[in-house]
Amino acid sequence: MKAVFRASALVLVITLAACGSDPAPEPTEQIVVREPGADASEASDTTAPEPAGEATASLVAAGKSAFNTCIACHVLEKGGANRIGPNLYGIIGQAAGSADGFKYSDAMASSGITWTKEELDSYLANPAAKVPGTTMMAGAISDAGQREAIIAYIEDASAN
Amino acid sequence: MGKWTRRAFIGAGVAAGGALVVGIAVRPGNPIDRLSPLVAKGKGEQLINAWVKIDADNIVTAIVPHVEMGQGIFTSLAQMLADELDADWSKVRILEAPADDKYVSHDIVREFAAPNLEVPAILEPTASGSFLSLATVMTLQITGGSFSIRGTGQRAMRTAGAAAREMLVAAAAKEWNVRAAELRTENSMVLHDKSSKSATFASFATAAAEQSLPAKPKLKSPKDYKLMGKPIARTDIPEKTDGSAIFGIDADLPGMKYAAVKAPPVVGAAVETMDATTAKTMPGVLQILNMGDFVAVVADGYWQAEQALATIDTTYSKTDGDGLDQDALFARYAKMLDEAGDSDGDVEAEEGDVGEAFANAATKVEAEYKVPFLAHATMEPMNCTAWVREGKCDVWSGTQMPLMARKAAAETSGIDYDNVTYHNAYLGGGFGRRAEMDMIIMATRIAKATQYPVKMIWSREEDTMQDHYRPSATSRFQGGLDKDGKAVSWSNIHTHLFDPQEAPTVPYYNIANHKIRKIDVPTHLRFGPWRSVDHSQHGFFIESFVDEMAQAAGKDGYAFRRELLAGSPRHLKVLDTAAKMSGWDKPLPEGHGRGIAFVPSFGTIIAEVAEVDMTGKKPKVKKIFVAADPGFAVNPDGFAAQMESSIAYGLTATLFGEISVKDGAVQQSNFHDYPILRINEMPDVAVEIINGDHKRLGGAGEPGLPPLAPAVTNAIFAATGKRVRELPLSKVDFA
Amino acid sequence: MITLNVNGQAKEVDVDPATPILWVVRENLKMTGTKFGCGVALCGACTVHLDGKPIRSCSTPVSEADGKSITTIEGLAAEDGTFSKVQQAWVDEQVAQCGYCQSGQIMTATALLKNNPNPSDEQIDTAMAGNICRCGTYVRIRKAIKVAAGAPSETQEA
Repeated sequence: MKAVFRASALVLVITLAACGSDPAPEPTEQIVVREPGADASEASDTTAPEPAGEATASLVAAGKSAFNTCIACHVLEKGGANRIGPNLYGIIGQAAGSADGFKYSDAMASSGITWTKEELDSYLANPAAKVPGTTMMAGAISDAGQREAIIAYIEDASAN
Repeated sequence: MGKWTRRAFIGAGVAAGGALVVGIAVRPGNPIDRLSPLVAKGKGEQLINAWVKIDADNIVTAIVPHVEMGQGIFTSLAQMLADELDADWSKVRILEAPADDKYVSHDIVREFAAPNLEVPAILEPTASGSFLSLATVMTLQITGGSFSIRGTGQRAMRTAGAAAREMLVAAAAKEWNVRAAELRTENSMVLHDKSSKSATFASFATAAAEQSLPAKPKLKSPKDYKLMGKPIARTDIPEKTDGSAIFGIDADLPGMKYAAVKAPPVVGAAVETMDATTAKTMPGVLQILNMGDFVAVVADGYWQAEQALATIDTTYSKTDGDGLDQDALFARYAKMLDEAGDSDGDVEAEEGDVGEAFANAATKVEAEYKVPFLAHATMEPMNCTAWVREGKCDVWSGTQMPLMARKAAAETSGIDYDNVTYHNAYLGGGFGRRAEMDMIIMATRIAKATQYPVKMIWSREEDTMQDHYRPSATSRFQGGLDKDGKAVSWSNIHTHLFDPQEAPTVPYYNIANHKIRKIDVPTHLRFGPWRSVDHSQHGFFIESFVDEMAQAAGKDGYAFRRELLAGSPRHLKVLDTAAKMSGWDKPLPEGHGRGIAFVPSFGTIIAEVAEVDMTGKKPKVKKIFVAADPGFAVNPDGFAAQMESSIAYGLTATLFGEISVKDGAVQQSNFHDYPILRINEMPDVAVEIINGDHKRLGGAGEPGLPPLAPAVTNAIFAATGKRVRELPLSKVDFA
Repeated sequence: MITLNVNGQAKEVDVDPATPILWVVRENLKMTGTKFGCGVALCGACTVHLDGKPIRSCSTPVSEADGKSITTIEGLAAEDGTFSKVQQAWVDEQVAQCGYCQSGQIMTATALLKNNPNPSDEQIDTAMAGNICRCGTYVRIRKAIKVAAGAPSETQEA
């Protein structure tokens, strides 16, 4: 995967849109970057911008919706049972690895983190980088706005 | 093509067999000469008639012209054929009929001089008002409308099995020089008791194929059924348990690439500009296509295609739907219903004089109900793999309409129909969504542009936002009761009619004066058949209003329906059974309630009782009792599974199913905002099957759904006194 | 190159380390039993085990699996094809309908029973709530897990 991106490999084919109201059977624009089997090109810039988050009236409401990515593994209610992941009620301000009865990875238990909002934010951005060895494999949230909303929701829900 | 052809793509599998075809003389009428190259290419395989082949090892293969999307139809149809054939079930295999015009079920039925089973009027091709008439289903190889067993099974599979049996017996009689009447069949053997002779079906297969087709093969009566009516294990379950089952999305071809797609959020808009500056620099990207009505990225891997697609900026053309919001849509419905007044709109059913009866009624009841758009949300997102090259086109997917898919691929690719092969796989859920052709057409267009094989997969977001939806709808009722609380008038006007046409009607209820009308209201969203189609909303409308009339009459919902069904013993038995199962008269804890609903649909009569706990913040549905009369349940366990499934599907819609429109676009995108019922929300389900008429079979896949929502909302009323007139329940504040 | 151990076999794959395990398993290793459902860890159709723990392979980059062992649905049965007790219970209780979500259901149920050989109804519901089944086979999933819990134990996973 070391091939350098070559502009010459890019073939731009533009055909005119077919007339009429039916869906165009042919592409109106066909950009052939590379033929299959040709050397795979790799661009230096591989980070894809995330699609913009939906504008929402309230951060907490947005967070409640975004938290749905978490509910398969986490509950967020006082006294609620741990699932695949620990109950997140009241996590903000707590030491990492302190939810009752949850079997944490050694990495998490010994991380020494206190879950400030900032710490949570950086953890959610890339859990495995923040706490190498964490068992939370599926929680990375690349959208900063979404992280902010989720953290706001956790804080709000924990206040009730 | 690896495991694709080897495993579930049965049509392709046999076509790829390449073994010697035994040439045989065939009597007129038997189409096996033209069908053998399609389905009996294996060495030593003998097609007996269109639906049955027998190989040298005495394996009987039932050829079924329907697709498997979870309803267990392969097994049930094979059960019907194998029973009439007296086949040894352990030696029965199942083959999905290829997507070929030679294999449409309607034509094949014509092999036989006359259909010799009484078929309910609703199934007759001429019958008005049936969503998918038998003729349509059979001509187009459609799987839908809960028709497979009651149509194809009753008419074709059983007849074919019985015919094959008679042909084998005739061949054996000739060879052994005995009278056919002295022979019997059992476990894929022909037996002559007098001489203690016996031989396998296989030993007579070739000779049997040369026998003339019996015009009226004799079918078994229920007392002789050996397989029909038994809870036989489904043949497709083991491979769906070890990951080896092949679905459309599992297509694998040499040199295949992957496409991610995005269509304009507002249906009908065109892609005006596409900025792929970043996308074309991203790893794995092969092509970026503006197809006019959607954008596609083709890459070495699907994830790479998706990542690149997400970076593309697009602008879309303006459409009439752009400014539209859900509230405005409902307002439009209301305005048009207002304008229709007492007389406009299309009359769907009318008897007596509702105007007069309602005017003179002692008690008048009026109500309006609303339901939202619903998406199908099959677990397997829409997908299709296509390969268009020099004069040939191959398409792989899981569709409810294989023949239509082949036609769509031919038209889209511009390649001659005879050179287009459509390969069907298991469907990861259908529910009507896979009766549409959009995914076939899109993939074929992409593959035509690339000229190499491409697997197109929709993201869950596309699947949710680009569906063909169950219509949102409004329905208004006026009901009149006489001084004894007897229903004397029923008038209804509602928006939209998709199918089946009988869905809004209530011919089974004794109401002397009734009039039912519809108006069509334009919306830009695409409508599509959604499990139980229009019964899904009308079941809720009708059975909610019946409950409101019962309440106005001061009667219990069960007792009131008994009056309405008086004189229809088969209907009453279903209603009574559900009530009895639920312990209707037994008290429930405080805050709990029971509700009953009754909807006959797709030939099956169903009553359901829901038990709901309203003591928490949200309704908790505890139990559903189902009494069902499908005429005769060919596979009772499979039938019960379809009831459980319909309840889960219906409960999702009842509790939180809602697709809404804002600025013309669907607002929901994935399972967080279009939630699906989860296991902790699943009620216990008890099913009791009544075999009410073995000659008039009903469907299984859909009829369990329509009574569910009203049973639940009627139970909520019983528990709380709060009448729910709009779904889903997540919109209702029960605090 | 990333070295993976999948169902007991060492595999080397040349992919972007950020690629979700799901697509590596399906497209590079051609094991299609693991399914794509939602792409954002909401439905569970993509569930596999990473060092014995159930994870959502659609949202877990393959770099996380470097040097660890992945078990997919294809790795549950014994060498000779004998089903694990969970798989056998799935067949005995006739769970699957369309079957698309069942690989994920079975992987989650297998992990549940490994940690809790005798789960209560509530524990089953809690553990399985992350796996959506659109056909609504939940009644049978509950029953199959109970049956598997009561069945004589046998080795079912490396």
